[in-house]
Amino acid sequence: MPLSTISESKTQRLEILGPDGKADPSIPVDISESELLDIYRKMVEMRLFDERAIKLQRQGRLGTYPQILGQEASQIVPPLCLKPSDWMVPTYRGQGAYYARGMQLRYSLLYWAGDDRGVHFPEGNKDMIFSIPVGTHLTQAAGLAWAAKLKKEDSIALAYVGDGSTSKGDFHEALTFAGQFRLPVIYLIENNHWAISVPRKKQSASTTLAEKASGYGIFGLQVDGNDALAVYQAVGSAVARARLGLGPSVLECETYRLGHHTTADDATRYRSAQEVEAWKKKDPITRLRKYLESRKLWNAQEESKLKTESEAMIQAEIDAYESFGAPNPLNMFSDNYASAPWHLIEQRAQLEKLLKARKSQHEALELPPVEGRFP
Amino acid sequence: MSELNLVQAVNQGLRQAMESDKRVMVLGEDVGINGGVFRVTEGLFKRFGPDRVVDTPLAELGIVGTSVGLAMGGMRPVCEIQFDGFLPATLDQVICHIGRIRNRSRGKYTVPMVLRSPHGGLIHAPEHHSESPEAYLCHTPGIKVVCPSTPQDAKGLIIAAINDPDPVVYFEPKALYRAAKGEVPDQPYETPIGKARLAREGTDISLISWGAMVHSCLKAANILNEEGISAEVLDLRTLTPLDIAAILATAEKTGRALIAHEAPNTGSWAAEISALISERALLKLQAPVRRVGSWDIRMPLFRLEKYYIPDAGRIVKAAQETLSF
Ligand SMILES: Cc1ncc(C[n+]2csc(CCOP(=O)(O)OP(=O)(O)O)c2C)c(N)n1
Ligand SMILES: [Mg+2]
Repeated sequence: MPLSTISESKTQRLEILGPDGKADPSIPVDISESELLDIYRKMVEMRLFDERAIKLQRQGRLGTYPQILGQEASQIVPPLCLKPSDWMVPTYRGQGAYYARGMQLRYSLLYWAGDDRGVHFPEGNKDMIFSIPVGTHLTQAAGLAWAAKLKKEDSIALAYVGDGSTSKGDFHEALTFAGQFRLPVIYLIENNHWAISVPRKKQSASTTLAEKASGYGIFGLQVDGNDALAVYQAVGSAVARARLGLGPSVLECETYRLGHHTTADDATRYRSAQEVEAWKKKDPITRLRKYLESRKLWNAQEESKLKTESEAMIQAEIDAYESFGAPNPLNMFSDNYASAPWHLIEQRAQLEKLLKARKSQHEALELPPVEGRFP
Repeated sequence: MSELNLVQAVNQGLRQAMESDKRVMVLGEDVGINGGVFRVTEGLFKRFGPDRVVDTPLAELGIVGTSVGLAMGGMRPVCEIQFDGFLPATLDQVICHIGRIRNRSRGKYTVPMVLRSPHGGLIHAPEHHSESPEAYLCHTPGIKVVCPSTPQDAKGLIIAAINDPDPVVYFEPKALYRAAKGEVPDQPYETPIGKARLAREGTDISLISWGAMVHSCLKAANILNEEGISAEVLDLRTLTPLDIAAILATAEKTGRALIAHEAPNTGSWAAEISALISERALLKLQAPVRRVGSWDIRMPLFRLEKYYIPDAGRIVKAAQETLSF
C-alpha cells in the first residue's frame, strides 16, 4: 500500500489592520464606534499606567513589576469580548486584562507591592487570581469551563498563556481535556517572542504555536496580536463558538514584549536593539489610532484630552494605593480554612502577643483593624 | 583565597567542576546567555558553549526528567529550577523516580545528578518565590539534600554534590546570595556531604539551623550573650543524611535544643530533628526540644513576610522560654 494522507492540518493567520492603520475591507468587523473608542482609551491608559508603575518601582515605591508594554491589544481586547459571568483567567502579566475587566489600578499596584489586599475584583466578576507559577492555571480554566458546561450555564472561560509557558506539560494536559470534553474554553497565547531571556524559537521546534491545537482536536488560529481589530474579531468568534457548544479554541496572538521581562530583568543582556526597534514600528496603539483617525473617530485634540485625563486618573489611583497604609500582620491568619483549626488559633494568638510586645517597645506601631474571616 | 559572595562561590564551584569533568553540564531556564536570573551561571555559557550550558524550554518537569536520563546515560547534569516555588512541579520525578532508580535496578543504574534551586524568603520577591520546600525532599528516600550558609561551604558543597554518585538537591538561600561574603579557597575542594559545622560554641542552649536562618541564630546568640546566656549554633549544611553525631553532641552538651528554620513547623525537617534528639538524648535534656518555624499558613505576599518567617527576636524568645522551663 502506498502512503496515504489520513489527516491534514493547516494553520491560518488573521490580520486586519496594516502597519499604516488601514483596515482590510474584505473582513467585516462587527464592532461599534463606542467599543472601538473604549478599547483605544483603555490601551492608552494602560500604557501610561505602565510607565508610572516602572517609575514607582525605581523609586522604591513598588515591588518587582512586569510591564505589558507593546502587548496592550492582546491584553485589553479579550476581556472586552466577555461577560462578567465568564471566567477570565490571567497569567501573572495581567494588569491590562484586569483593568479591562474593571478592576481599579490601585489593586494591581497593591498586589505588586507585596500586599495581599491587591487581590480585589469587582463584585460579580468571575476573575481568577494572578498565576505566578506559569501554566498551572490552564487545567484549572478547563475545569471552570467544564463546571459551567455541566451546570448548563452559557458562561465560558478565557485563559491567557505566554509563548514560553506553552512548553509546560500543563498546557498540553489542558488542551487534552478541553478537546476531549469539548469545553467552552479559549486559550489565548500571548506570543511576545520572549520568555525572560529565551526566544520563542528556542521554546519549540513547532513553526507556530497555533498549530499545536490541531493535535488535540481543537480549533487553532494565529492572530496579529498587535492588531486590536484582529484580536477582537478572533476572540469574538471564539467566544461565540464556545457559547454555542462548538468547543474550545487556541488563539496565538503574535505580539512583542517591548520592555524588560520585569523590573528585575535587563533585556539588553540577551536581545538586540534592532529587534526591539523593528517591533516598535508595529506598535498596537499607533496602529489603532491611525485607523480611528482615518475613520474620523479621533483627532489630536482628543488625544491630548485623553492623555491629560488618564494621567489624572492614574495619579488618583497611585494616591489611593499609597494611602492604604500597612496591613495588619494578623490578616495572614484570616481565610485559611472555613473554620480555623486549633493550631492556627494558637499560632495567631502567639503572633498577636508578639505584636503587642513590640508595640510596647515602639509606641509608634499602631495597627489597623484585622481584615478577613477568623476563625 | 578570594573574598566571594554566595553567588560567586557557587559559580566558581560549577566552573571548576566543568573544567575538570567534561560530562558535567548545566541546564535550566535562562541559565545560558542570561547567566541565570540570579547570575549564578554567569559566564559559563561563554566558557563552555551551548551543549554544556543549556537554555531549556520552560518546563520544570521536563528539565528534571531529562536530567534523570542524562545522568543514567553517562552525563553529570546540574539542573536549575529557577525558584523554590516551581520545585513542587518536579516532585513526580523526584519522589517517584530519582531516588529509586539505583534500588529498582538492583544497583545497575545510578542517577548522579544535582538539582539546584534557590531557597527561602526575605528578598521582597513576588508570590511563590520565597518558599522553603526542603521537607518534601528530605522525606524522600534515595536522595541527598544540602543547603549551605557560607560562600566557602557553597563552593565545597556544589563540587561535592557534582562528584557524589547519587542525586543531590542543592538549596541556595537567596537572602544570602549577595549578603553572605567570605574568604573562599581558589582551588577546587569538597565540603563533605553529611557533616555539620559548628558555627559558634556555647554551653547553655543549642541553636540548630540551616541556610539563611543560621545567620538569624548567630544574631540571636549575640543577643542572648548580652543577657549572660551562652548559645551554641550548629549549621547543619546537609539535611539528608543528617550529621547525627554532631546533633547529639551539641544537644547533650547544652541539654537544650532549639531548631530554627523558615518552613512551617508541621511535618517540617525541624520536626524530624526534634524527634531524633528526643529519641536518642532524652535523659541528657533539661527541657523539651523546641521548633521555631513559620506559621502553618502559606507564605504571605512580601509586606508581611517578616512577620511570617522567624527572626532573631523570635529565636531569642523561644530560647528564653526553653531556658526557663
Ligand atoms: C512554573 C514556572 N516556572 C518558572 C517561572 C519563572 N518565570 C516567570 S515568567 C517566565 C517566562 C514566561 O514566559 P512566557 O510564558 O512567554 O510569558 P511572558 O513572560 O513573556 O509574558 C519564567 C520562566 C514561573 N513563573 N513559573
Ligand atoms: Mg513570552
